[in-house]
Amino acid sequence: MDRVVLLLSVLSLGVSSQPITDSQHQFSTAVSRVQTLHLLAQSLFSNFESKLPTEDQRQLNKIFLQDFCNSDYIISPIDKHETQRSSVLKLLSISCQLVESWEFPSRFLPGGSALRISPRLSELKTGIQVLKTASQDGAEMFSDSLPLQLAPYGNFYQSLGGDELLRRNYELLACFKKDMHKVETYLTVAKCRLSPEANCTL
Amino acid sequence: MMKEAVKETILLLLLLFFTPHAQGTRYSPPGKPELTRCRSPEKETFTCWWKPGSDGGLPTTHALYYRKENSETVYECRNYHTAGENSCFFNKNDTSIWVNYNITVVATNALGSNFSDPVDIDVAYIVKPNTPEKVTVTVMEDRGWPFLRVSWEPPHKADTRSGWITLIYELRVKLEGEDDWEMHLAGQQKMFNVFSLRSGGTYHVQVRCRPDHGFWSEWSSTSYIKVPDYFNREKSVWILIAVFSAFIFLILTWLLHMNSHSLKHCILPPVPGPKIKGFDEQLLKKGKSEEVFSALVVSDFPPTSSSNYEDLLVEYLEVYVPQEQELMLEGSKDLLDSCFKSEGSTSDNDSGRVSCDSRTLLMDKCGEAKEEERQTDQEDSRSETEPQRRQKDWDEDALTYACEDMVSPDKSSGRVKTWPSVFSPLPQYSSSLPDQMSSFKMAKQHCHSDSLLPPGSTSFYLTQPGYSTKEALGPSYWEFCLSNKQTHSLLPQTQPCQQLQAHSDVNISSIGCKQAPVGLPSPAVRRTDYVEVQRVNEEDMVLLQPVVSDRGRGEGCPQMCQQEDYSKVKGVDSDNMLLLQREVMKEEVDRCPCEDQETNGATESCYTSPVSTITLKPAALIHTGTLIRDEMALAASGYVDNATMFTLATH
Repeated sequence: MDRVVLLLSVLSLGVSSQPITDSQHQFSTAVSRVQTLHLLAQSLFSNFESKLPTEDQRQLNKIFLQDFCNSDYIISPIDKHETQRSSVLKLLSISCQLVESWEFPSRFLPGGSALRISPRLSELKTGIQVLKTASQDGAEMFSDSLPLQLAPYGNFYQSLGGDELLRRNYELLACFKKDMHKVETYLTVAKCRLSPEANCTL
Repeated sequence: MMKEAVKETILLLLLLFFTPHAQGTRYSPPGKPELTRCRSPEKETFTCWWKPGSDGGLPTTHALYYRKENSETVYECRNYHTAGENSCFFNKNDTSIWVNYNITVVATNALGSNFSDPVDIDVAYIVKPNTPEKVTVTVMEDRGWPFLRVSWEPPHKADTRSGWITLIYELRVKLEGEDDWEMHLAGQQKMFNVFSLRSGGTYHVQVRCRPDHGFWSEWSSTSYIKVPDYFNREKSVWILIAVFSAFIFLILTWLLHMNSHSLKHCILPPVPGPKIKGFDEQLLKKGKSEEVFSALVVSDFPPTSSSNYEDLLVEYLEVYVPQEQELMLEGSKDLLDSCFKSEGSTSDNDSGRVSCDSRTLLMDKCGEAKEEERQTDQEDSRSETEPQRRQKDWDEDALTYACEDMVSPDKSSGRVKTWPSVFSPLPQYSSSLPDQMSSFKMAKQHCHSDSLLPPGSTSFYLTQPGYSTKEALGPSYWEFCLSNKQTHSLLPQTQPCQQLQAHSDVNISSIGCKQAPVGLPSPAVRRTDYVEVQRVNEEDMVLLQPVVSDRGRGEGCPQMCQQEDYSKVKGVDSDNMLLLQREVMKEEVDRCPCEDQETNGATESCYTSPVSTITLKPAALIHTGTLIRDEMALAASGYVDNATMFTLATH
């Protein structure tokens, strides 16, 4: 009888420890994928910007900064303190929202279809959701109060021409790059928080 | 009034004084400042720097104002000192990531102010970390090869532990004195190994880092490391081996070159001469001469059948007629010619003539003699010279030769026993040469057949016990031998051989003497013995029998004579003497028959008797010891000197 109890306890320990290692692996995968997406976004943006005349670049930058991205409504920590204060689950859900918000508009990114941006985003979202469910074991459900249906850009569905098109593309690329950077940061922080070793970035 | 005028004058003067200054340095509002850059070292704070414009001659002040995105609130920089002159430091509380900042610098002086162009920044993209810290370089060894191990720490402000910022590192190495750096990307690790070092050199190492998307940091301060002198053991060992083997190869080549001559002899030895059948050189080398000679004994000798005649037809003795006696010889120039021919020919035969530096000197000398014999074999004419010469000698001296009895096997054995002496070194034999007549005889025998000759002819002459006692040996024999020797002396090479032979002759003679009581047939006495006709058989053959002399030597003769019943009668001369003629071959009358037999009978019969019976090959020298053998040898010559016959007959 005692032996049975001992065996069961060992088995339960083993079982319980497994999700941690699995989540570690999952996190690493998610982090690597988002890093890839971020790099792609960076390359797209720099390509686009390099083709513009310098004068247009400065003006576009000005205009862009005056506008805001579509995902600005998603409240996300904007500094390290806030990020570290947020729970892993919160970070994961925010990341999921961000990725989801770009699933549709990414098809309109100039050059995005060639790089398979949308499929990658879909895969990343799936992974993040798995991580969410894994970290939600025993924890309270984090309700996504924010509606996922985002209103597109003002002139998103309009067929623009000339400068308008140029401006829209510029904004899309800039916002996409920024969001990918956010997701990468959140996922990295969440992964490091879960990893046992101190230097998780190694 | 005056005071007011003075005050006004002073004011005017002051104004005049200041006016030129005011005109020289025009005061103006400050120039436009310019934000040069903004940097964040750890993505938590950031700093902006600007460059002020002209100050307009007046003290100007600068102020930085910024506005965050989606907000119209203008904030002013609260920290102008931390980062130095013309800088503004944003602390953590004022820093927001992924938020656009709109920053403006304003320069203000007494006359006015000037705004700089606004700059929009996103802190996430202006990160430039500090240089890595605690860069350490050590030299380590990997299987004998040195390498550098470089390790460092991230800048202490960068929070890589929580994953807030991810840094990648890069280092560069160069040798002291060179200009080109060797770059190495280390990734996120904080340690790196540098290989392919030059031993004994001093290296400079620097490290820098950057966030995954940001600016590279500055290079760290140079770390110096000196690589100790490294001795490549493996390469040096190979070099040593190569040098050593080359050295050995050179030495071997030199040795080969030096000894090329002897090597040629070793690898391609000169072709040795023909060997005596049954003669074992190895035994000779060992010094077991008796065994050597025993090996020479043919087991089936004397041959009982006639089938071995050809085998015995090995060699003929070559007889050299000396110059003086040749002159005296009648006729038979061809004999002389053949003599000379044989002599001369023997010199260039490479089968038996071995060079002086061959192994056994004795062998050479005896080989030469054999050579001569072989020469005789090769040409019948040569072989004939032998009996011819003998005949001449005998003619001259008018000696009859006792026919030698057939040599019994004992004789042969006795003769064999003498062999060793032939090949043993003979010191100073030459001096004793003239002293012993018997030796001559022996020499003669040897002259006839040096070595292995079918003991036939030689044995006849040799092992006659009576030799020692009989000094009446046909001088022709001796002369014959002498002539042999002399002729041999013509060829200096043969000289020692003769001497050797002579020596052996001595022994042989002694042995022969010893054997005398054994019952050997009567020795060949070179006396003119007579043979009396016994009868004439149906075949018109005269059967002769030797006349028994008082010496009692005729013991063997009857035997011999009886055997000699093959002769044919040539005719009868006026004196009622039978002239016998050899049937098969002409033989020298002088020869064997008389020698073998001590007969007092007609010498001719002696001569001829055995001849006709010679159905055997003339060259076959059978050791039966019959006259036949001798006659065969003689018969080979096929020469019958009628003159000698007559001469002898008239004895």
